[in-house]
Amino acid sequence: MEYDTMMMDNESLGPSVKISEADNMHVNFELTNVDISFANSLRRVIQAEVPTIAIDLVEFAVNSSVLADEFIAHRLGLIPLDSRQIDDLNYSRDCDCDQYCERCSVTLTLHAKCTSDEVMKVYARDLIVSHDRPNNQIGNPVIMDPDGLGPLICKLRKDQELQINCIAKKGIAKEHAKWAPTAAVGFEYDPHNKLRHLDLWYEIDAEKEWPKSQYAAWEEPPQEGEVFDYDAVPSRFYFEVESAGNIEPDTIIQEGIKELQRKLAGLIHGLGETDGMNGDYDGPRSPDQNMDGGSGWQDQGFTTPYGNAGNQSSWGGSATAYGTTPYGNSGQGGW
Amino acid sequence: MPGRTINEATRLEAKTEDVAMADAPTSAQSHAEESHDTAETMREDGEENGSKQGEEEEDEEEQPPAQRIRVLPGSTTTAASYEFLEEGHTLGNALRYIIMKNPDVEFCAYAIPHPSEPKMNVRIQTYDTTTAIDALKKGLQDLEDLCDVVAEEFWTKRNEFAASKADMMSE
Repeated sequence: MEYDTMMMDNESLGPSVKISEADNMHVNFELTNVDISFANSLRRVIQAEVPTIAIDLVEFAVNSSVLADEFIAHRLGLIPLDSRQIDDLNYSRDCDCDQYCERCSVTLTLHAKCTSDEVMKVYARDLIVSHDRPNNQIGNPVIMDPDGLGPLICKLRKDQELQINCIAKKGIAKEHAKWAPTAAVGFEYDPHNKLRHLDLWYEIDAEKEWPKSQYAAWEEPPQEGEVFDYDAVPSRFYFEVESAGNIEPDTIIQEGIKELQRKLAGLIHGLGETDGMNGDYDGPRSPDQNMDGGSGWQDQGFTTPYGNAGNQSSWGGSATAYGTTPYGNSGQGGW
Repeated sequence: MPGRTINEATRLEAKTEDVAMADAPTSAQSHAEESHDTAETMREDGEENGSKQGEEEEDEEEQPPAQRIRVLPGSTTTAASYEFLEEGHTLGNALRYIIMKNPDVEFCAYAIPHPSEPKMNVRIQTYDTTTAIDALKKGLQDLEDLCDVVAEEFWTKRNEFAASKADMMSE
């Protein structure tokens, strides 16, 4: 395909990436020569649709702590678990098993009882991950503090006990934020506000009162008395991706694009089936026409959308109502 | 797929299996209390007794997968509206842009008619050189190709960055 109008600056043709900073928790990069809609799709997909694993089901055997069951269950859900090889795990809803199994879940157990007079702290490191899981990395609590403790789950006083069984499942942040791979995503463009997408509030002079973004130095400042370019579109996007610890930041981007492609592939597949519109679904549905825009809906006006111009009843006659679909001409033409 | 009418045999069978009041459990309450004493299952989002709920949902999902895309009424070959289920701005805006890039397309726009319905509509109007459905298919394919380009670009730059960082460390 041609990206003719995308050649904004003469130096490069297609989309280009420039990484300015990266470590195991962050990646800052500049994405250029793409449209804002694509850049925003990338941002949305890495924030909400990259799958990770998180505790989803909690069975309480003993809980004599001061915290309610559901309170602890919620805290457990928010603990980041290692999701780097999430592709090895099925979604529970797609799995062959009844409720959950080792192919679609990871079990973590926790048993703590305070026996001393001092307050006992229960940390994420106290979670024991079961061995029957797709690989020996997935589902491990992410522990990043120098003491190796992980997030605090609960505090116990003398004789208080906590015995729980947690089922961690694969999911996406669109369903619940606990599955988010990112802690924060910075998304920025046009640091000098040349496109006037922002209407900055000011007392005397917006230029002086608003601090400049660090990316302002990367782009040409507006010239004195420069006329507004009505045709200008943003083409340089500055991302600052911060991982939650469950997936590395570079993998988040990679997985995000993959997820976007999976979405597209699903739709292309759905369209590709020849009788896609008139498949074997015979439930109630509003009458629609063939995908290839044939007759059926808007032509004569005296035909019903059900059956072929009334010469054959859709309920019986030569064809059954179920064999061929009663709506339009099934399979004819196709696309 | 016959079976809107129940045949005589099954109806008789159903009659014999009819439950009398006496067969009903004395109280549903005692059951609930029993399970309460032993172990409690709780969904993380506070939905109690998740297992039962899950079973019911699964039964519903046994039905054939619903159509993800359909043509809205009033569409012609070169001007059509498509309704996508369970898609949003993530796909909609990027798809709209990439379809509009196609020189054979006269007009393309998308809308989410209501925020609480998981629906996204795309309107495509083309010149006589192509059809709306072909423009849609091409758009999906082009967007996938664009993803490929960006993914590859990101990964090569990541490797270059990692290499340059390693060089700096060794110096």
